[in-house]
Amino acid sequence: MFRVLLSLTAAALVFVAAWVVWDRARGPTATPIADFSAPFVFGRFSVPADNPLTQEAFALGRHLFYDPILSGNNTVSCASCHLQALAFTDGRAKSPALSGGVLEFSSMSLANLLWGQERFFWDGRATSLEEQALIPIQHPDEMDQDIDALMVELRASIKYRRMFRRAYGDVTAENTAKALATFMRMLISSDSKYDRYLRGKARLTAQEEHGRKLFMAHPDTKVSLRGGNCIDCHSQFLTSGFRDALDGFSNNGLDPDGTLPDGLMAVTGNSAHKGFFKVPTLRNIAVTAPYMHDGRFKTLEEVMDHYNDGIVVSDTLSPLILEADNAPDNGPDTIGLRMTPEEMAAIIAFLHTLTDEVFLTNPQLSNPFDGDT
Amino acid sequence: MRLSHVTLGISTAAILISAGWFTLRALPEKSTSITLTFHAEMGGAPLVYDQFVYDNPGGPGTFRVRDFRFYLSNLSVAKGAETYSEADSYHLLRFDNADRSHSITLTDVPLQSVETVGFLIGVDPEANSSIQPRGDLDPNSQMAWNWEVGYKFVVFEGALRIGETVSPVVYHVGFSENARQQSFAIPSDSQVDGDVQVDLTVDLAKLFNGATRIDMETLPSVKFDRTDAKDLADNYADMIAPKF
Ligand code: HEC
Ligand code: HEC
Repeated sequence: MFRVLLSLTAAALVFVAAWVVWDRARGPTATPIADFSAPFVFGRFSVPADNPLTQEAFALGRHLFYDPILSGNNTVSCASCHLQALAFTDGRAKSPALSGGVLEFSSMSLANLLWGQERFFWDGRATSLEEQALIPIQHPDEMDQDIDALMVELRASIKYRRMFRRAYGDVTAENTAKALATFMRMLISSDSKYDRYLRGKARLTAQEEHGRKLFMAHPDTKVSLRGGNCIDCHSQFLTSGFRDALDGFSNNGLDPDGTLPDGLMAVTGNSAHKGFFKVPTLRNIAVTAPYMHDGRFKTLEEVMDHYNDGIVVSDTLSPLILEADNAPDNGPDTIGLRMTPEEMAAIIAFLHTLTDEVFLTNPQLSNPFDGDT
Repeated sequence: MRLSHVTLGISTAAILISAGWFTLRALPEKSTSITLTFHAEMGGAPLVYDQFVYDNPGGPGTFRVRDFRFYLSNLSVAKGAETYSEADSYHLLRFDNADRSHSITLTDVPLQSVETVGFLIGVDPEANSSIQPRGDLDPNSQMAWNWEVGYKFVVFEGALRIGETVSPVVYHVGFSENARQQSFAIPSDSQVDGDVQVDLTVDLAKLFNGATRIDMETLPSVKFDRTDAKDLADNYADMIAPKF
């Protein structure tokens, strides 16, 4: 009896040892994310050939995104400034800086990053999500983490060693960036009322439909067409900026020449780009207040007031904004849409149809450490 | 006796067929590659962006160009009665690059040579009323109005300066009736060894000065007014020409 037990134990030990060795030696498992779909109206997207979407990379990226281990003092995670319930913004005008005070910019919503501009940050300085991901980690006022020190910390964790091995192989900075990028590519918001309306599964109220029409129309007084001209910059289905070249950046009239920030010009060196910022997605916009790159507007009403009669002229101001006017008597000091209060309320009602509760509460995108013991 | 005749006949036929098949296969397939390079100009000189260097064609003031782009679609080439049409042929031509040019290459055109090239400035009605992305058509792009209206075919944006006053000039021309067909004979010296290189000029000045001469002061914007749009379309119908 004892002998049987002994040999069984030995066999079990050998098996476990062999499994452990095999598990370490084998390459990444790389299960492609198969069941992922997006509305075809979102259009084409591309994923870097050297970082395909896989379950393992997503799982790793999700852990990294929510793990404060990524910061120097182990208190700040990506999710500190990108909260799921707020469509991955932080609800503040400007995010808090580690050294006290605030950062230069307002946090940005992370949704549908596979589409729209292929440049990231308000001024477009990162040209891929892989490049973007390591920037906040090392930024002294965001996460202030030395990348090599982070690799040492991650390698010390059995769990991360295993997750990296399954997803990519080694624990490296490059693979950290790739995993974070994969997680962010899968932040897909496509279940708002507007999406369901596009799929023929929901009806907009009369006010929402009025707002949709105004959103989608550039006003033309010559043919009595009223419009909010939002679509001149925020695309009709994605509501983000355009993908082609630098089309997704523009100056929407926030500041005069004297105080106009550099924006995209800081990246391209082209003075025609001064004051250009990334046209953000308007998906889930009702939950991402405050608004604009510096969070200057607290409500959507304030945003609409800006477009309606608060436009500030500067040399690079979009001609489409300068020229869009619903009132025929084009006086020199009337720059703005000059819509009625009902029309502005209708556009705001349409913007509310862009809220996607499924996205904001999807457990697969939530903090994987919640409920962990 | 009979049988051997039949056998002989069959084998001869088989030999002939296979011999023929191999010879034909060995013949090189004749195909041609064609590159069309479009050069943006204003009245004969390369287009300049973002500077007030051009005179308002029909009135006072000077203007600058911020953006100029258009759709060229349904590209086809022909030799005699044989025609080859590119599939999903929708090209967005934009010139905001260093050499102010845009090239389109058609490879493996199954013609021995090409004599003419044809295309549409604009988008055909079928594609213009669809939200399917194809070629450079993208319903989430700057060229899309919205799915109820279709695409902008030709976009010009800039500003007019009269004295100290700067005002925007925005011409967005669309609507299916404003697509304009153009075709040209290809200059005979542009063909070397199955490789055709054609240079064409796109003269933006023609947009403002043709059958209708535009005064940007009185016509600062063209969008949904059908008459204004048609006037500009009749002008741009002549803006492309082969370069000799
Ligand atoms: C301290 C707050 C903070 C932290 C922590 C933070 N971010 Fe951000 N995030 C921001 C701000 C602010 C911006 C806009 C910054 C800018 O434009 O310069 C931004 C922008 C982004 C963008 C650009 C989105 C777009 O549409 O262009 C991405 C992607 C992003 N963050 C991902 C991350 C990831 C991944 C992490 C963790 C590694 C992270 N962030 C950590 C505040 C933060
Ligand atoms: C000329 C281009 C343009 C037009 C037209 C335009 N926008 Fe914007 N929009 C932008 C840009 C650029 C930003 C970001 C500006 C910044 O922060 O510097 C922006 C920001 C916003 C924001 C804030 C987003 C955020 O995450 O903070 C909202 C809301 C918005 N726009 C709604 C609208 C609506 C509604 C319309 C139509 C009435 C409209 N926009 C028309 C370019 C445009």
